[in-house]
Amino acid sequence: MADIALAPAAESPAQLRLARRLSAGARCAIPVALLLGIGFLAPLMAIFGYAFATPRSFDVFRSFTLENFATLFDPANTVWVSFVWSCGLALTTVAILAVVAYPIAYGLNVVFGRWSPFISVLFVFPLFVSENVRLYGWVLFYIKNGVLDGTLKWLGLSGGPEVLFTPGITLFGMVYTYLPFMLFPMTLGLALVPRDLIDAARDLGAGRLFIWREIELPLAMPGILIGMLLTFVLAIGATAEAKILGGQSIIVISHDIEIAFTYSQNWPLGSAMAVVVTFFIGGLTLFALSKLDLDRMLGRR
Amino acid sequence: MAGISRRSLLKGMGTGLGALAAAGPLLNANKAFAAREKELNILCWEGYNSAQVLDPFRSKTGATVKAESLTNDPTMINRLRAGEINTWDLINVNNPWARKVMLPEKLIKPLPKAEFEPFFANMLPQFKAPYKWAMSEDGKDLIGMVQRFGPYSFVVNTDKISRKTAEDTGWDLFNDPALAGKYGILESDDWNVFNIFIVAGIDPFKVHTPEEMTKFEETAKRVFKGAKLIGDIASMNQALISGEIDLHLTGGTYSVSPARADGHPNLRAITPLKGPLAGGKGGISWIEVTSTVNNPNLSPLAVEFLKYVQAPDVAHTVAFAEGTFNPVAQMGNKACFDLFTKDELDAIQWDSLEEEMARSVEYDIVPDYDKALDLMNAAKRMRG
Repeated sequence: MADIALAPAAESPAQLRLARRLSAGARCAIPVALLLGIGFLAPLMAIFGYAFATPRSFDVFRSFTLENFATLFDPANTVWVSFVWSCGLALTTVAILAVVAYPIAYGLNVVFGRWSPFISVLFVFPLFVSENVRLYGWVLFYIKNGVLDGTLKWLGLSGGPEVLFTPGITLFGMVYTYLPFMLFPMTLGLALVPRDLIDAARDLGAGRLFIWREIELPLAMPGILIGMLLTFVLAIGATAEAKILGGQSIIVISHDIEIAFTYSQNWPLGSAMAVVVTFFIGGLTLFALSKLDLDRMLGRR
Repeated sequence: MAGISRRSLLKGMGTGLGALAAAGPLLNANKAFAAREKELNILCWEGYNSAQVLDPFRSKTGATVKAESLTNDPTMINRLRAGEINTWDLINVNNPWARKVMLPEKLIKPLPKAEFEPFFANMLPQFKAPYKWAMSEDGKDLIGMVQRFGPYSFVVNTDKISRKTAEDTGWDLFNDPALAGKYGILESDDWNVFNIFIVAGIDPFKVHTPEEMTKFEETAKRVFKGAKLIGDIASMNQALISGEIDLHLTGGTYSVSPARADGHPNLRAITPLKGPLAGGKGGISWIEVTSTVNNPNLSPLAVEFLKYVQAPDVAHTVAFAEGTFNPVAQMGNKACFDLFTKDELDAIQWDSLEEEMARSVEYDIVPDYDKALDLMNAAKRMRG
């Protein structure tokens, strides 16, 4: 393996010209760049193009109008209701998951010891099953005369609560679905906290709350924030929970986009909605990241 | 590994890619000429994409058959409009689209009449040639073959609402405040537009006045607000069986037959005795028409497949393909009808099929569908 380094490749004048223009690294990156260009950027560009096309047409890149955006921002349009539901549910999911996942992440790092890998697998395992199948499973659990209701009646009780087909059960479904996406970044974040620092603080007389607030939380913050961002971005695009568990008691924005592309056959309007949502999430993410100084949080400054 | 270096590996890959790039157009050209003989792509409603239907055809022809199922007609037609006319060979949609939309837009092409017209002689009486929806508007061309059909209005649990009450009361069941929270709505928005019009006492298949649209909007808001859930066929049947709901809007043999076949004959598709539709009819029926796409390089297997599904045993398989169970026009042929067991006939409500079809108008296109759908979507959003 002596010939491991890339030798100067230029031999003919044409190759020399190319070599001057592109470094070896850039040339090696061409296949990946092409793949990303075709697989990632091209669909985004198509959506972007459709957003400016004549409504209910397929005149992408052949027409230009702002009519789709005008329709979306028309005060009479109720699409904002779906947007508010999506944002509200996503924010609530993130808040609940932050509280629920933290003790588990702490346990995986500090308490569970040799059982930690096994418990981690238990949290990962549901991801191997399709989300829809898992959600239908919950429907069977909560439905009238289903697992919960039937068991309680069998025990002589009055039956289970009527929770299916409500916004509340939609939130439950989202918390359940996105738990691993909050848990594992958070677990990694907590793993970054050096035990020596906590021991030193304790030796110097710091209380448990003080150690948590001043050492553990700030040092674990990168993982917690990545978990929160990941969960928020996934949750704002969630559809299946509101459809299957929630029985469409509310319409979320991704469902509205889906309706525009299917029954309405208004691809330009659906694309305009997708563009607005993408810019909103992108803007929010960049804003959050600009306000958070990861270096400072990691104590590197 | 001594002979292989990173450089030689990259050079090898480069040579390989170059050769592939050079040979690409030739490979594609060969594919274009040869592969269509052994390739068939079908855009259809669920059922035709099942292994039970496709596998025997694959074995018989040795062809690669791909079928994609979608759950509404406009999406399928727009796939052709968006440029996929070169991809598909057959398209299977509800009755009016072939005759009124796809043929005028040159998205489909006529079938060889002499080869296919004789099949209609073996169909149920209402499908005898020249069958309206299989023919072009001028009556000259045969533009598709019919197979599955059925009435499609609403479904009730007859343990809660008797068949007689449901048929007599009809669509006013959804105007009854006492039933708010006890019904579901099938997620089938084109049909829901029809049915909200009917619940409002308006014929859907005409141009509507602003007053009628206002009434449609009010009805849509009230009906969607009162629904316990909106969902797919499986969710509706599950909610009916469990007792979460007593009835659901939009549904028929197509949606309820799997539950009936599964031992729940108390669930029943209802066609009201009367309604605001043409001739005072109370329900709507659908008839699928399968046409050959106007693909410049149409697979010769497209017409072969259309002939294949006419055979009595294959027609029976189509009727009971996975997903939904439906009557088929080929039941007019005794050899096909005899393949249906008593339980299968009961699942598709054969006992009342003829009278229900007689009480139904045929699926048609709503002239102001886009506007009505926008109003209905807004009504859905206000549920929460």
